[in-house]
Amino acid sequence: MSGFLLEYLPILIVFGIATVLSLLFLVAAKIMAPASGDVEKLSTYECGFNAFDDSRMKFDVQFYLVAILFIIFDLEIAFLFPYAVSLDKVGIYGWAVVMIFLSELIWGLYYAWKKGALDWQ
Amino acid sequence: MITAIAFYLLAAVSVASAFMVIASRNPVHSVMFLILTFFSAAGLFILMGAEFLALLLIMVYVGAVAVLFLFVVMMLEVDFVALKQGFLQYIGLGATVAVVLLTELILVGAAYFAGDGNTATPPNPDESNLEAFGHVLYTDYAFFFEASGFILLVAMIGAIVLTLRERDGVRKQDISKQIARTREDAVEMVDLKSGEGIGS
Repeated sequence: MSGFLLEYLPILIVFGIATVLSLLFLVAAKIMAPASGDVEKLSTYECGFNAFDDSRMKFDVQFYLVAILFIIFDLEIAFLFPYAVSLDKVGIYGWAVVMIFLSELIWGLYYAWKKGALDWQ
Repeated sequence: MITAIAFYLLAAVSVASAFMVIASRNPVHSVMFLILTFFSAAGLFILMGAEFLALLLIMVYVGAVAVLFLFVVMMLEVDFVALKQGFLQYIGLGATVAVVLLTELILVGAAYFAGDGNTATPPNPDESNLEAFGHVLYTDYAFFFEASGFILLVAMIGAIVLTLRERDGVRKQDISKQIARTREDAVEMVDLKSGEGIGS
């Protein structure tokens, strides 16, 4: 195995441990915990009265806007990752390119801010 | 040895969870299996030495796109029973897409095996994937880099224009208004005699 993949071996081991542990807890709870459910115990509990509705209702579109803005800034970060390691190689030209890129996104942030897209109504 | 085990494990998990994406009844579970598929695909990318792609897959797809899918699934107010009913109706379209996709995959595989079997070799094997990207992305491909930034800007403006609704009757904090308030328009001094109110 190459040295490059050896660097990722701890992650694989952690994944293995996490899988085993989580399965262990699930199985242990299934085996050891007493469970005697009936219809009333397993139905949705809503503080005294019968449940009006199920929990699957429409979400406000505002959540969606926040998620889209998050994706866009997330992608921006993804574009900047290589810059962190090649900063010394690309020099002043690369710096200028990245600054233009950032200024485009800053205009977007300014627009979002001005329009009140970041305010929660 | 470990590499082979890891590959078969990740490949098996990704195929199985990709199947569960379309097989599970609950759309929320589908999205969860989609996240698992992304994760194992990221592991496969790492096995191939494509660190940056694995990073992008986890950060962008798991971190953002899957969350967006989850929002869409939750926002649609889906009737799960009704969703499954029209399943066979789309079988023609689905089969066409599947056949086209399979043909493309076979063509790619055939081209790989019919050729000399070599993929492109990195110019400098010592530097990592990420560094290799960085050296060309901000210099040789600067224009495309800026163009992608511009596309992100357009996407952001479009999302805001499409989804931002002003609604009435919402009390928001307006800091400049708060600061501009003076004592004169906020406080009124009233002289009261004892035993009398100010009336209303």
